Amino acid sequence: MSIFVFMRFNNSFNLTYLIFALLGGIILIFLIAPLLGLFFSLKAPQLFSTINDSQVSNSIYRTLLISAFVTLIASLFALPLAYILARKRFPLKGLIEAIIDLPIVIPHSAAGIALLGFISRDSLVGSLASSVGLNLVGSSTAIGMAMAFVSVPFLINSARDGFAAVPVRLEQVAETLGASRYQVFTQISLPLAKRSVISGLVLMFARGMSEFGAVVIVAYHPMTTPVLIFDRFNSFGLDYARPVAAIFIAVTLLIFILLRIYQKR
Amino acid sequence: MMLQIESLEYSVGEFNLGPLSFELEKGGYLAISGPSGSGKSLLMELIAGLRRAKNGKIIIDSANHTFTPPRERPVGLLFQDYALFPHLSVYDNIAFPLRIMKKESKVIDSRVKTLADYFSIEKLTGRDVGTLSGGERQRVALARAIAYEPNILILDEPLSALDEDLREEAKQTLADLKKMGQTIIHVTHNRNEIEGLASKSIALFQGFIKSEF
Repeated sequence: MSIFVFMRFNNSFNLTYLIFALLGGIILIFLIAPLLGLFFSLKAPQLFSTINDSQVSNSIYRTLLISAFVTLIASLFALPLAYILARKRFPLKGLIEAIIDLPIVIPHSAAGIALLGFISRDSLVGSLASSVGLNLVGSSTAIGMAMAFVSVPFLINSARDGFAAVPVRLEQVAETLGASRYQVFTQISLPLAKRSVISGLVLMFARGMSEFGAVVIVAYHPMTTPVLIFDRFNSFGLDYARPVAAIFIAVTLLIFILLRIYQKR
Repeated sequence: MMLQIESLEYSVGEFNLGPLSFELEKGGYLAISGPSGSGKSLLMELIAGLRRAKNGKIIIDSANHTFTPPRERPVGLLFQDYALFPHLSVYDNIAFPLRIMKKESKVIDSRVKTLADYFSIEKLTGRDVGTLSGGERQRVALARAIAYEPNILILDEPLSALDEDLREEAKQTLADLKKMGQTIIHVTHNRNEIEGLASKSIALFQGFIKSEF
């Protein structure tokens, strides 16, 4: 509705815009309706018992913690890569950029299968881990790896765009004022790309915690919330999965809204 | 001699610069002029160390600096667009080279104050650089470049971005810097603007020195 009001104010009302607004409105309804439906069909007693269900709250803490932790760890590797991609030209750069985008396009269940093979006890990584008494499959480490695998492209791409937008001039002038390359990065490039870097971190965190397909294959237990939602649905049905889903959506929406506010500021 | 350029050569794509040779005495004011595409920006970036020479030598204050990185050269550079750090205040912009040199905060404070007084920007030190006028930005950039205490200060088109009435004022500032004994290289496409300032002048054309006086 507000679209129409805006158009009238804007004095650009015509038939094309009207049809476009109607078509666009349908896709908006398609996005909003299922979510609203989910919240409206919640029953208060079920919602309260779910909020007090320690399995649910534990899974939410676990999911948020693991995703936050892998986001921070991954940034140690992703930010240097993003900076190089933004600043340097080198052979096979296009291939490297394609590899970074690969997790976005491959099915996440397939990514999970690949990761499982990578960390299973008969693999190199898995046998190394089990020689020090670690079983990766079905561990928080496996969950973190699955989350990082599917979500790190969002951090790399966002940070790369941020670094690319920093004028080279500013880095050059800092160098002529005595700064080393590392000082240029920490004092000029990183602060100036801060907004994109933080957006990338939040996107990676949000994408990682929402991940189901890759996580469920490498670790059904301990359960992350997306796996728990699936498990409740599979074992007990829609009515039992719905309140868990609603609570988790509320948590993710909150993070998403905070991100939007930060980006608009 | 503060600066000796010996048979300096550089090429990028189809364009060849040099071989160029010239000298500049300590406290001298060298004007490098030429139309766009004459190679004056390349020459400036070679002296500052932002580009690596293909051949020849760059000797600054008797030390060979041909291949030293920009941060190790005693050369300051005032970019045409001033290149102020937008995330730092005026104070922090001027303090930037001093902090890199790990000076004590007391020393930094007094040095920034002295420079701000000298360039008449003492009232602006708390300001965000985005709120400054063109003339103010230039003076902040000059203060920052001088804070580095460069043996040679290179100015890239320092007057062309300024309004007519600010230009005379800025010219006076440059004349004062020269009087203080600062060795200056002034790069410009407009030879008229260096009248009364330059002690030496080089005109470039298509990568070569067309005239020198």
